[in-house]
Amino acid sequence: MSVDKLKDAVKQILNEVDIVIGYTEGFDKVHATPLFINTQDKVDQLIWDQRCVHNLASYLPSLKRKKVGVIVKGCDSRTIVQYIQEGLINRENVKIIGLPCSGVISLKKLLKAVDFANIDDITFEDNGNVNVKTEKETKTLSLMDIAPDKCKTCQYPTPLIYDILIGDPIKSDKPKESVYEDIIEFDKKSLEEKLAYWQKVFDRCIRCYACRNACPMCVCQDSCIAESREPHWISQRATLTEKFMFHLIHTVHLAGRCVECGECERACPMGIPVNTLKRKINLEMKELFDYVPGVNPDDKPPMYTFNVDELKIKEHKIG
Amino acid sequence: MRVGVFICHCGNNIAGTVDVKAVAEAIRKIPGVAYATTYMYTCSEPGQDEIKQAIKDHNLNRIVVAACSPRMHELTFRKTVEKAGLNRYYFEMANIREHISWIGEDKEANTKKAIDVVKMAVAKVMQDRPLYSSSFRINKRVLVIGGGVAGMQAALDCADGGLEVVLVEKSPSIGGMMSRLDKTFPTIDCSICILGPKMVDVAQHDKIKLYAYSEIDEIKGYVGNYQIKIRKKATYVDWTKCTGCGACMEKCPSRNAYDYFNFGVAPTKAINIPFPQAIPKKAKIDPNYCRHFTKGKCGVCAKICPTKAINYEMQDEIVTEEVGAIIVATGYSLLDLEKLPEYGGGRYPDVISGIQYERLLNASGPTAGHILRPSDHIEPKTIVFVSCAGSRDKSIGIPYCSNFCCMYIAKQAILTKDHIPDSQSYVFYMDIRSPGKGYDEFTRRAQEDYGVKYIRGRVSRIYPKGKKMVVKGVDTLLGSQVEIEADLVVLGTAVLSNPDAAHLAEKLHISYDTFGFYVESHPKLRPVETNTSGVFLAGACQGPKDIPASVGQGSAAASKVLALFSKDMLESDPAVAKVDINKCIGCLKCVRTCPFQAIKDKELRDGRIVADVIETVCAGCGVCTSTCPCGAIQLQHFTDNQLLAEVNALCLA
Repeated sequence: MSVDKLKDAVKQILNEVDIVIGYTEGFDKVHATPLFINTQDKVDQLIWDQRCVHNLASYLPSLKRKKVGVIVKGCDSRTIVQYIQEGLINRENVKIIGLPCSGVISLKKLLKAVDFANIDDITFEDNGNVNVKTEKETKTLSLMDIAPDKCKTCQYPTPLIYDILIGDPIKSDKPKESVYEDIIEFDKKSLEEKLAYWQKVFDRCIRCYACRNACPMCVCQDSCIAESREPHWISQRATLTEKFMFHLIHTVHLAGRCVECGECERACPMGIPVNTLKRKINLEMKELFDYVPGVNPDDKPPMYTFNVDELKIKEHKIG
Repeated sequence: MRVGVFICHCGNNIAGTVDVKAVAEAIRKIPGVAYATTYMYTCSEPGQDEIKQAIKDHNLNRIVVAACSPRMHELTFRKTVEKAGLNRYYFEMANIREHISWIGEDKEANTKKAIDVVKMAVAKVMQDRPLYSSSFRINKRVLVIGGGVAGMQAALDCADGGLEVVLVEKSPSIGGMMSRLDKTFPTIDCSICILGPKMVDVAQHDKIKLYAYSEIDEIKGYVGNYQIKIRKKATYVDWTKCTGCGACMEKCPSRNAYDYFNFGVAPTKAINIPFPQAIPKKAKIDPNYCRHFTKGKCGVCAKICPTKAINYEMQDEIVTEEVGAIIVATGYSLLDLEKLPEYGGGRYPDVISGIQYERLLNASGPTAGHILRPSDHIEPKTIVFVSCAGSRDKSIGIPYCSNFCCMYIAKQAILTKDHIPDSQSYVFYMDIRSPGKGYDEFTRRAQEDYGVKYIRGRVSRIYPKGKKMVVKGVDTLLGSQVEIEADLVVLGTAVLSNPDAAHLAEKLHISYDTFGFYVESHPKLRPVETNTSGVFLAGACQGPKDIPASVGQGSAAASKVLALFSKDMLESDPAVAKVDINKCIGCLKCVRTCPFQAIKDKELRDGRIVADVIETVCAGCGVCTSTCPCGAIQLQHFTDNQLLAEVNALCLA
């Protein structure tokens, strides 16, 4: 797909919306950064390649009262679907430009692959090869080796919801069962082992709230329980209990809502696998309520409803 | 902050296993506690006076009473502190009786636990905020659900007291189980003869609006102001035109419809009037059997009907009624014979249930009052009654006694002798339960005057042998096996709650026990109230009950409603959910999870959407508070911080 097609589409919808959110070059060759286009002359700054990692849909709730165009990958589109289910955006105020995607890079993995050398240039080939030029050497890597985990089991390479689709739809070639394989594997550990693991990783947490701030589904904004005094669930002390509490509250707040975009993990400066807990809860929600977040705009999130009878929760033993 | 703590001995109830003096001593050390003492009976008048006096003498502004369950006396003490000039919500009750002294014998451990529990209450009371109730107008109409004898009595008493009554009955006629009975114990007076006039009174009372063959679809609102959606089920007969002449029933060619009124003793017509005294006396089509519905052609009834009342296109109709209180009198159901395979229930036509036998005895029943056994319509000479058929049997999950089977079996045995003088009845029983007025004399009469043979023991098996049914059991008094060759076997089947009792309870927000019987507010002192204010119970929906008890409860429930409606305004409970609009992010998750539809969205002046609680509708259940991600919606008197203070008092110490 040529980026020109994307630019044409953006130019076209710019007449109908206040702003279009896309990607542009970042401060160096490996970073892309969000671009807010409100005038035609900014359109040319648009880029589209494997560096476009951010979930741009995250901006939509804060722009609820504006007409917004947004560029989304398959995984990002689930965020929009979930927003629609939860009534956090008005569908008619959003123009969605969908881009089929066969994987992006994980900066953390890329830097590790080149031994944390400074990267001068990076180019992507259609066959999935990534050429990286560092100050020391030029290396060819396979995209899947440096892609985030979510890309390796991606079920939705083509956006689930869009107004304009640029490029041909891609079908997922990853088995459905692979999505939660790691969770099921991890779950086999004993309770003590699991607790010890989480205590170890959460001990690294510096409570910078980057995971929360990056999360598209964290909707409490300035009312976050992590910093609130009324109610005062957690204190500001940097103890393991308080860190644990924060992450567990975050997890529970995302029960049946997490669209598994992985932004929390991408944003974490301490390399904590924060998405694992949320995916575990998602797996439970799938088994209990037969519900997968962010797939069908007409679905009702199970935690958003009150039903007297639940399919798999046997409450009435009578009659 | 000056907290006063009063620890009750409750005679020996608490002081017997809790060192109350030690508790007071420990609590006195907590910062903020200005006064702590013990008292023999804190709920007594001098006990309450002591609280009032201490508030004055020690300038107390928060009160904790450590005593029994708040269900028992919270209201008592709230009134006490209010009389002493404090806000009634500056009061906490620590339950050291039901939760501690009654359940443990180790005095040391109990005392330690009591100190913890009182500490929690002190921590909570320090976080308490003053709350004030507002008052609202009430709608003085009452809904009675169920037109059995209990519901009818309740409806009549309410109506005679001047209230407008909406009576909803799910079957085509009112009368309930009692209308199916032939005679009633212990007087052997004809059931329909005493019930019929009451049914007519209900029909003719200008204050009672009857919805027969209708069910409750939806209940919204709260005490004083309910909106009820009633589903009038399609009868396929326009009841405004039907005169109850019965011509349709006579000519209907579909003769194999299940007869719900007669419990399937014999089939009935697809269009029928359930029984001659039915109120309303109107016909109804059963579409499962009607040829017009099953085969697509017939229309005999439509042709024959002199008033052209038949309407095959009729649909269910929803009507809305507004009431201020609800009396639930939904009655009971009976254990299915098929659940008793060892007695051959459901397999052998000559093993029937007590209620079916009642229909065989009845003059307007399918056999016109002649006892004829179902298999070959021959008069039985040897009849065996089996009491506790399912009841008091833990193995099938019915550990309770069904209350009235002993009595009706004695009655049926007496009536059998009257109908067939050369017959012999046997009764297998576990114990004879006849504690009512004149009841024991009645069962003795059956044995002594009517020669009914009572065999104490259970039946193990019933099986056919030629044209007879062999009843095999044990006589525990003789210690021997018994085998009786009977012509007919009558099972005193267990009383169950209604199959849809749980669903109705959910709509009413009342609780039910593991068997589906509705739970009263207090088993002795509040027998017809529920824990949901405005909803009252009458009759067997609360537990198996005979006619006098059901009628008594119907009247009791009516008197509760009349007392409730004696005021024009009710006070609302301020312990409801409240939204902090500065925190609310307008996700409106609470709106969707609220089981009472008590939360609406509200637009602020700056265009922001926030949640808004309708105070009078909110029942204070707290679902919204656990739903709200940012803690913006808090249940007053049970805020997160108040509860966390309790947890901290327990865990940090």
